[in-house]
Amino acid sequence: MTDERSQAADLTASLRDRLVESVADDAAVSRRAVLGGLGLAGAGALGLSGRGRASAGHDDDPDPHGSFGPVDEYAEDAFDPHEFLTTFNTGFDGQDDLDQRVFERDGQRVREFEISATLKPDVEIAPGVTFPAWAYNGQVPGPTLRVTEGDVIRVVFENGQEHPHTIHPHVKNVNPRMDGIPHNGPGVIEQGGRFVYEWKAQPAGCHFYHCHSLPLKEHIHRGLYGAIIVDPDPERVARNPREYVNYQGPMTEEYRETLVEKARLRNREYRADEVNEMVMVMNGFDTNFDGENEVYAVNTQAFCYGVGDTDAHGSWEESENGTIQPITVDRDTPQRVYLINAIEFDPINSFHTHSQFFDYYDHGTTLMPTHKTVDTVMQCQAQRGIVELDYSDHDPGLYMFHAHQSEFAELGWMSFFEVEA
Amino acid sequence: MSDRRDGEGGASGPDATQDGGRNTDQPTDRERTETTERTNGGTDRPNDGRADTIERTGPAERTDGGTAGATTDLPLGIPSWLGALVPLLLLAVVVGGFVLFPPFAGVQSGEPLPDVSVSHVTLPSDERVVLHVTNSGAEPVTVSQVLVDDAYWDFRMTAGGERTRTLTPMQSATITVPYHWTPGWDLDVALVLDSGATVHHAIVAPRPSPGMTPGILGTLAVVGLFVGVVPVALGMLWFPFMRRLSDRWLHAILVFAAGVLAFLAFDAGFEAFEVAAEIPGAFEGPLLVVVGIFGALLLVQSVSAWQSGRADDGAADGEGRSGVSPLGLAYLVALGIGLHNLAEGLAIGSAFALGRVSLGAFLVVGFMVHNVTEGPAVVAPVARGERPSLWHFAGLGLLAGAPIILGGWIGGFAFSPTLGALFLAAGVGAILQVNWEIAGMVRRGGHLASATNLLAFLAGLVVMYATDLLVTL
Repeated sequence: MTDERSQAADLTASLRDRLVESVADDAAVSRRAVLGGLGLAGAGALGLSGRGRASAGHDDDPDPHGSFGPVDEYAEDAFDPHEFLTTFNTGFDGQDDLDQRVFERDGQRVREFEISATLKPDVEIAPGVTFPAWAYNGQVPGPTLRVTEGDVIRVVFENGQEHPHTIHPHVKNVNPRMDGIPHNGPGVIEQGGRFVYEWKAQPAGCHFYHCHSLPLKEHIHRGLYGAIIVDPDPERVARNPREYVNYQGPMTEEYRETLVEKARLRNREYRADEVNEMVMVMNGFDTNFDGENEVYAVNTQAFCYGVGDTDAHGSWEESENGTIQPITVDRDTPQRVYLINAIEFDPINSFHTHSQFFDYYDHGTTLMPTHKTVDTVMQCQAQRGIVELDYSDHDPGLYMFHAHQSEFAELGWMSFFEVEA
Repeated sequence: MSDRRDGEGGASGPDATQDGGRNTDQPTDRERTETTERTNGGTDRPNDGRADTIERTGPAERTDGGTAGATTDLPLGIPSWLGALVPLLLLAVVVGGFVLFPPFAGVQSGEPLPDVSVSHVTLPSDERVVLHVTNSGAEPVTVSQVLVDDAYWDFRMTAGGERTRTLTPMQSATITVPYHWTPGWDLDVALVLDSGATVHHAIVAPRPSPGMTPGILGTLAVVGLFVGVVPVALGMLWFPFMRRLSDRWLHAILVFAAGVLAFLAFDAGFEAFEVAAEIPGAFEGPLLVVVGIFGALLLVQSVSAWQSGRADDGAADGEGRSGVSPLGLAYLVALGIGLHNLAEGLAIGSAFALGRVSLGAFLVVGFMVHNVTEGPAVVAPVARGERPSLWHFAGLGLLAGAPIILGGWIGGFAFSPTLGALFLAAGVGAILQVNWEIAGMVRRGGHLASATNLLAFLAGLVVMYATDLLVTL
């Protein structure tokens, strides 16, 4: 720990103390309120707040209850989950290392992506722990594909790995040859083989793609999966509003307009940029082949959205190279999470927000929430949905979110939003 | 110890492993085929009689060669002692060549599996877990993370006083995990290596192990006095009674003592292999026990052979080969029992250090009843003839009983399964040798396998078994 850091920590501490003193009342309560607090009461005492040390930076003065969390941080040149979080490949734009384009064919818009399957021998899944993954486009999760309802998703797939692979889409695909399974169409794609999958982008929602080769457990858990996000087309919503809502009453103009407006806010070609959108693929890794995961994560790296170090009283530091740090969100911007469960070996996964309730759209196929005002949702494998959060009335500070299977949380699926004013 | 089931997780990935496997398999198959052919040829031949001829001439030639080498000087005037070094020098050259120009570089078949052992755990307080680990594998290993009950926790690993994450082969280290545990609640600790392989270690019913304080040292000394020295001394008080016994009954008591010792040998032997299971794989625990047993047996035997050889030279009478003097045998018995009690002390001390013992009155009484039979075993050899001076008795008693105190201190300060197994094995070896001597002594004076003696041996075993039920640490 450098001097500057500890000076900064001291300064933070003195400012904080002054602030707390100025708000008299019940010190315990006001302190938490003033600081935005850790949503988890007593998190410091439990040592559950990232690397929860009694005082940041004093290695020789450890917390009497021990300090929870991983040791060290990720290599800087590793896959960057912070970048992945907000990277969407639309064919128009997206990540540089993915060949993608958009063209018209028979009056239909085609979004084309070139995706290969390769062996990625050293995916860092916890600091210092590597996993030999099979990866789409050299990354786990694979690239997030984002299209608009009604487009054609065209994936030029090449297998550069010695095991046979496929891509199986979780969209409403009406051509069985394109299902990406060993039993139909081209079957599995052998090493050096190439196949062009074409799927109609429907229905609107948050969807999933993965390899369907056998043994299926291994092909999924080794890393062959990713997100397909299909944005609703506001014009189509205006024409067929009932397809986007589980609602049996009369369709008033006002309600139709509400739905269209929600579609606009979901569609990147309209007003989705008014929302902070994130992709979170919940995954896990069985590193010792015992049929259980040793590492759980959102977007592959355990604890990557955690805090590097914390004094357990609301001030924290990111890890030295910044590979471990919370997701910073602006208080006044609505938040949207495309949440996908790609876990293997465990039947379910979950998403729980601290001090916050959210609207949940199961599979993202409706424009009105399927669960309104909840703080925990459960997803079975391959289930996914959209989470919409609003932090506008929260004090700035750290708010935890994690799987509410405590085991998953403590094995890596534990993250923070840092809400900024 | 590793959960890893195949080598695929290593940096080389599945491709390298499979290719490597194929490469190494091929030569093996070819060799096997050639061997089979040769064997077939051999079995086909005996009919023509040539095989017999070869067998007859072979050994004769070899004998000639051996005689020639032993009697004539080596060529070029090289002294014969240098000739003994030649194979070693050539071995060094070949080894050097291998290291400099490895011919098997192309046949590398992936990486050996990591093998890390947790030999034992110390718990200095309920806020700390200290794991003692050793790299038993052939390659360096890196401990990247530590899980306690399926959760990531901070840890610090030190080897030889320096912080590190990587252990070279055979290197040992301690891993300190700040963790607030609850006494009595089991912990499962897992080391996660860089390859993702895990090494699990269960800590059953944890208790704080406070370590050694002067107070505990004193307690251990008192305990050792009562469970080791006092019962042996009390047992030795049978000496005047034994002097008045007839030969038959004295022999029975000697054989009874042998039965006591045989029981201790089995007791310590099983214990040694049990402790050896905790020794890191690289140190080959069970074989260490075997070496310890034979080492002690042969060392004590050679000492006694040397002693009796000197006695024979001095006496130079016809009796010869009389074995060890009675006093010498008494000291050997005391040494064997002493080694056994040292190991017993180690067990008490380490149980103390690990916070695993409640030294109730019952346990101490049990030990005393158990060990009181060791007294007559020590003094039985000197029951005939001139009574040795009293300080010999003191010496015998201390040699047999006092090591339990020393063992308690060693076990309390620096318990290591390797040390424990080695002491136990040495005790077994010494006891076996002592029984050999007792048998010789009885045989010289009368009939060893008489009904009385056999029943006395059995009685020794049974008494020890019965009193052993009283002492369960």
